[in-house]
Amino acid sequence: MAKWTESKPDPDFSQVLAPDGTVDGDAPVDEETMLRMYETMKVSRRYDEKTLSLQRRGEISILSRSWGEEAIPVGSAAALEEGDWCFPTYRQTPSKLYWGGPLDRSLAGLMGHEPETIEEHLPVPDEEALPVNFSPVYIPLASNVTNAVGSAMADKFEDEDAVTLSYIGDGSSSQGDFYEALNFAGVFDAPAVTICHNNQWAISVPAHRQTAAETFAQKAEAAGIPHERVDGNDVFAVYEATKRAVDRARAGEGPTLLECVTYRVDDHNTADDAGAYRDESQQAFWAERDPVDRLEAYLRSADLIDDAAIEAIEEDADERVEAAVDRAREVPADDPARIFDNHLQSESWNERHQREELRAEQRGENPFTDFTGEGL
Amino acid sequence: MSAEYPDGETSEVNLVTAVRDTLAQELRRDESVRLLGYDMGPIGGVFRATEGLYEEFGENRVIDTPLSENGILGTAAGMAMRGQRVVPEIQFLGFFYPAFGQFMYTVSKMHERTGGGFEMPLTVRVPYGGGIKSSEYHSESTESFFVHTPGVRVVCPSTPAETKGLLAASIRSDDPVMFLEPKAVYRAGTQEVPEDDYTLPLDESRTVREGSDITVLSWGARVRHAEAAADQVDADVEILDLRTLSPLPVEDVLDSVKKTGRCVIFHEARRTLGLGAELSALINEYAIDRLQAPIKRATGYDVHFPSHQTEEAYLPDEQRAADAIEAVMSYEY
Repeated sequence: MAKWTESKPDPDFSQVLAPDGTVDGDAPVDEETMLRMYETMKVSRRYDEKTLSLQRRGEISILSRSWGEEAIPVGSAAALEEGDWCFPTYRQTPSKLYWGGPLDRSLAGLMGHEPETIEEHLPVPDEEALPVNFSPVYIPLASNVTNAVGSAMADKFEDEDAVTLSYIGDGSSSQGDFYEALNFAGVFDAPAVTICHNNQWAISVPAHRQTAAETFAQKAEAAGIPHERVDGNDVFAVYEATKRAVDRARAGEGPTLLECVTYRVDDHNTADDAGAYRDESQQAFWAERDPVDRLEAYLRSADLIDDAAIEAIEEDADERVEAAVDRAREVPADDPARIFDNHLQSESWNERHQREELRAEQRGENPFTDFTGEGL
Repeated sequence: MSAEYPDGETSEVNLVTAVRDTLAQELRRDESVRLLGYDMGPIGGVFRATEGLYEEFGENRVIDTPLSENGILGTAAGMAMRGQRVVPEIQFLGFFYPAFGQFMYTVSKMHERTGGGFEMPLTVRVPYGGGIKSSEYHSESTESFFVHTPGVRVVCPSTPAETKGLLAASIRSDDPVMFLEPKAVYRAGTQEVPEDDYTLPLDESRTVREGSDITVLSWGARVRHAEAAADQVDADVEILDLRTLSPLPVEDVLDSVKKTGRCVIFHEARRTLGLGAELSALINEYAIDRLQAPIKRATGYDVHFPSHQTEEAYLPDEQRAADAIEAVMSYEY
């Protein structure tokens, strides 16, 4: 019988931070890291609020938000070290935020700018490069995991001690790429950690229609690699489990799959309507397990924050997000000819010719006047 | 031998040996070159194109993988993103279909979607084409799928010496390359191939022979049939071996057709939306007033590749090429 029910999962998973914000024993990270985790989650929430309003106003076309699942990307990213690699899909913006990822570039991307335009107008100087390396966000499900395992294989073959972390959702575990990635990771002992957000819904399809397996973690059994199941709303538990997996990978002991059990509080994306296919009465249950509130309660009880500190953190988050929106909005419109950039390393006849045609069209001229192939 | 090739010692080798020698040369030249694929280790690949390389370079440079085309291409893409110069092998083009996800999502697109931020120096070697009386899915020539995809080069040699220069250039290129090896001519003949390193341009055709009456455009294993057809027809035939199918050497094609005024396109892939359709369209758009006859396509038929008892009827041979040339030559407006 499956251990999840699309509502109240069987709590057969590791947990450090109880839903009421108490920890039995010591927290697994130092005070500075805890505060960084908390601040990252707060910025992510503000970013999610702001991007939703931008989407509603038509400045962003479609959006998938991290709301309610922040403990997974934040807890796991905190377990990485300088030089490691991360291959995210959507809902992992907080991973990059944790390592200082620039919000303005993410926003400009959501606003539909070509990457070349973003690079030109919002450049990141070399000295500000992130300590952890991030691939672009992947859209086709699970294709990132296979690439991530390739990245880890490269480190293994090059005798580097870097670790590659990648993320998928529960739906992605139905893709061939997922199994192919885990299988290669196992065969080559690749230093690859794969994290599955089991948020119990893949758009409208519930977890019990995704697999007949008892857990998503146990899918790793078929690839012969270790796996763990973690409370995905507990940032400390996610950190601890990821740290174990990362340390194992760095020690040459191979890959791990982690299933982080959580709940997709929000719609799948801004084109979705979760109310049409699920009982939203579960929201109260999950609100009591909110990862940000849970960490906040702990930090308060440990006298690390108070109302004034929280207010200051929220104000700072608001200012950072607003400033990033302002910078992203200042990025000028793309030159349409950018669509031809960065396909191949040298120019071909077709590329040259089609650029000419586009330019002619932009000038209001007829682009079909070349009958010799020698140009317009 | 053309002036493109270096002087010096040569060896007489066939096409598959040229592949093997070039892979060995590139593995020695650049530590970041890694081969991966199924069966490529101790056995040296189904066609022995990697024979001896596993022993010479070890399991971390010549990597025997699980049987998974998408896994091979997906992990190769990840390795390429991390600066490795990766040469994955897919055993037959007809087995490529499971790898299409990674091909489309990452291999052909990663460089563009990151604004040039990630390179994809990856050369997919695939034996392709019919003529070896193999079983189902072993004889496909679906190069159009790859030519239709931006962000990737498609290269197809037809001789051992071309193979060495084009494969070395492909491996050294930062672009992803589909390197289609015409397996029907893997062992069909030998040629003196320079032993020193050399590369050939990835965006130019090869003029197999010059002529003034009609241009035949071909590539891969069909080039030899085009040559045989040219010998038997009563016409002065110019043959272009396209050798780079994407990006197409358009100027070479137009220059030749404008000179001869007639054209036959000769390929073994299915006709409809085969590469011949694109070539014919280009000539129509940019050289129609120089044409003295309609263009004809001597190709395979719009069927799945047939069983080996009937494949000869499917495959365009010397006679089909000669018939097309003669038909076009005899046409009068």
